Amino acid sequence: MTEQIPQSQPGSTDSNGKPLLEVHNLKMYFPIVKGVFGKVGGYVKAADEVSFSIQSGETLGLVGESGCGKTTVGRCLVRAYKPTDGSIIYQTADKTSVDLAKVNSQELQIYRKDIRMIFQDPYSSLNPRMNVFEIISEVLRVNNLCSPKDMEYQVASVMKQCGLRPEYMRRYPHAFSGGERQRIGIARALVTSPRLVVCDEAVSGLDVSVRAQILNLMEDLRRDMDLTYLFISHDLSVIRHICDRVAVMYVGKLVELADANTLYTNPLHPYTESLMSAVPIPDPNVRDRKNRIRLEGEVADPSNPPSGCYFHPRCRYAKDRCGTETPILRNLGNDHFVACHFAEELALNGVQML
Amino acid sequence: MADNDNILIQVKDLKIHFFTNEGTVRAVDGVTFDIRSGKTLCVVGESGCGKSVTARALLQIVHRPGKIVDGDIIMYRKKGQNQIEEIHISDMEPKGRAIRAVRGKEISMIFQEPMTSLSPMYTVGNQIMETIMLHTSVDKKQARERALEMLGFVGIPRPERIVDEYPFRLSGGMRQRAMIAMALSCNPSLLIADEPTTALDVTTQAQIIDLMQGLQKDYDMGILFITHDLGVVAEIADNVAVMYLGNVVEYSDIHTIFNDPQHPYTQSLLRSIPKVTATREKLEVIEGMVPSPFRRPSGCPFHPRCTKAMPVCSKIEPKTISLNENHQVHCLLFDDDVKNSMRGMAS
Repeated sequence: MTEQIPQSQPGSTDSNGKPLLEVHNLKMYFPIVKGVFGKVGGYVKAADEVSFSIQSGETLGLVGESGCGKTTVGRCLVRAYKPTDGSIIYQTADKTSVDLAKVNSQELQIYRKDIRMIFQDPYSSLNPRMNVFEIISEVLRVNNLCSPKDMEYQVASVMKQCGLRPEYMRRYPHAFSGGERQRIGIARALVTSPRLVVCDEAVSGLDVSVRAQILNLMEDLRRDMDLTYLFISHDLSVIRHICDRVAVMYVGKLVELADANTLYTNPLHPYTESLMSAVPIPDPNVRDRKNRIRLEGEVADPSNPPSGCYFHPRCRYAKDRCGTETPILRNLGNDHFVACHFAEELALNGVQML
Repeated sequence: MADNDNILIQVKDLKIHFFTNEGTVRAVDGVTFDIRSGKTLCVVGESGCGKSVTARALLQIVHRPGKIVDGDIIMYRKKGQNQIEEIHISDMEPKGRAIRAVRGKEISMIFQEPMTSLSPMYTVGNQIMETIMLHTSVDKKQARERALEMLGFVGIPRPERIVDEYPFRLSGGMRQRAMIAMALSCNPSLLIADEPTTALDVTTQAQIIDLMQGLQKDYDMGILFITHDLGVVAEIADNVAVMYLGNVVEYSDIHTIFNDPQHPYTQSLLRSIPKVTATREKLEVIEGMVPSPFRRPSGCPFHPRCTKAMPVCSKIEPKTISLNENHQVHCLLFDDDVKNSMRGMAS
């Protein structure tokens, strides 16, 4: 049952063949430059041998604490960063494969419209000097995707889809509330009719009532426009709500990947278990849950990670082997991938279903 | 309200208005609650509902153009055996000596972003010592010892090293611990925590919440906890005040708020949160958004978004109605006068 990663790909291969996006051993190292002469003193391994795939039409969640590299992975997919190593195989609409990690910026331009990004902060991600029409149509203009004549129509229709009133097209971002700004951000991502949307903490900065509206909107758009999402968030309740499969990252590495139900009810990695246990549950009747796990210490420094399994200094099940041998991500059946030496032996608790 | 023995702070009909060029914003418009020692009051609400301003008023740190225009904030100070002194914080001069003796000593506050609320120019130890030396008559050496003790107390490893570090060298969780150490260094009777865990990871958040609950038990401290995260509320609150546009729309104990909420806003708010324990389904939403404070709706400010709005809701401002001694609702649905007049119209 257990296979090594480079051969088998985390992610179910269903009937329609190849996944939309396959990430193999993605590495993104940021050099630490020391002194005036720019001597490289080491690397921050923000993403280290990350492999996963995204099927067309699904929503893959990426969770982890801050500094675990989830945003870095997202940015590599839209090629905001050029990965240090590894490959990102993208299935284009006409069924050919391209490695986005290798193509140069000119070739990349044709794929820019297919993979788009929604950002966290609806305040800093919109240029205050551009009006809504300019913000949304910018991508059409710079990529020559649309004739100037049709542009207004295109922008208006995407605004309508995102629940914005097209009459407000000439207004500037400051005139909109946080929720509306996030809708503008979504409209900007969707105006090119993308196939994959990377949502980096897209609802984290929003109020509770607005967050529900945006989550429902994103779900509706996914169905209507046949979108695939990579949903990056630290909020496990939101991830639970919107994702089909979930990947958990810790210090640049993927530690567990499974379908959402399995991961939440039956986690196999101790880190996933402790994350689940830390989530506050909005029900005062369960507040005195026994056996809650409190993680000690802090996330390891990605420029100087611990030996062996990166999680072993904080892991309550750690044994000698964990300090010396780095676990690999392996398939324990039913496409449940986990990077822990003792995954078969541990009996871990997930979230209790109410 | 029931026993008055351990009431720490009583806020009565507090009104804070902001006088801006565009007009007057009624940021807090008649808020009443009390905080007891050893108990946690959570103030929940969306951004712009006035929860932070209310908390700041307790320390008289409402910034201009904001001003406390009406209402009373009374602090009850234990004075010897069975004697309680009433102190009217709302009457104090914001820059006066009286309030400065209260800040950091009897009431202290921790903020959301520990990076911006700690000074980058001084070491952590220096900043904690400053509070201690201001409020107690100790010399520098004793203050430093106290600071070290506090840092160890809030669970910072190797406090003798951290005490001489600058804030930027610490992680978010450690900074928040340092803030708590500073806030608790003079044994306050009330701790105000303004979204203290919002910027932290869930695992760190769980650590900080544990820490605060432990300290509360040890010192019998009252906590005013401001948050928008209903999960956190369910973990720590004894009482909950739900705010919307400057009003406390519902106030009750934690179990009533979660199991039997009466105000339509509380009900919708609870239904609109995604739950980690539930499977994928469409979320209920509250239509529209929090209106701009300059365009406050007439009557009940929630009526344009309310699912149970009646025609009168846009005309009459609701009063606070006590359903029982520990459950208040700010809604016309429960107003007997309105009910009677409706019945009158129907017949």
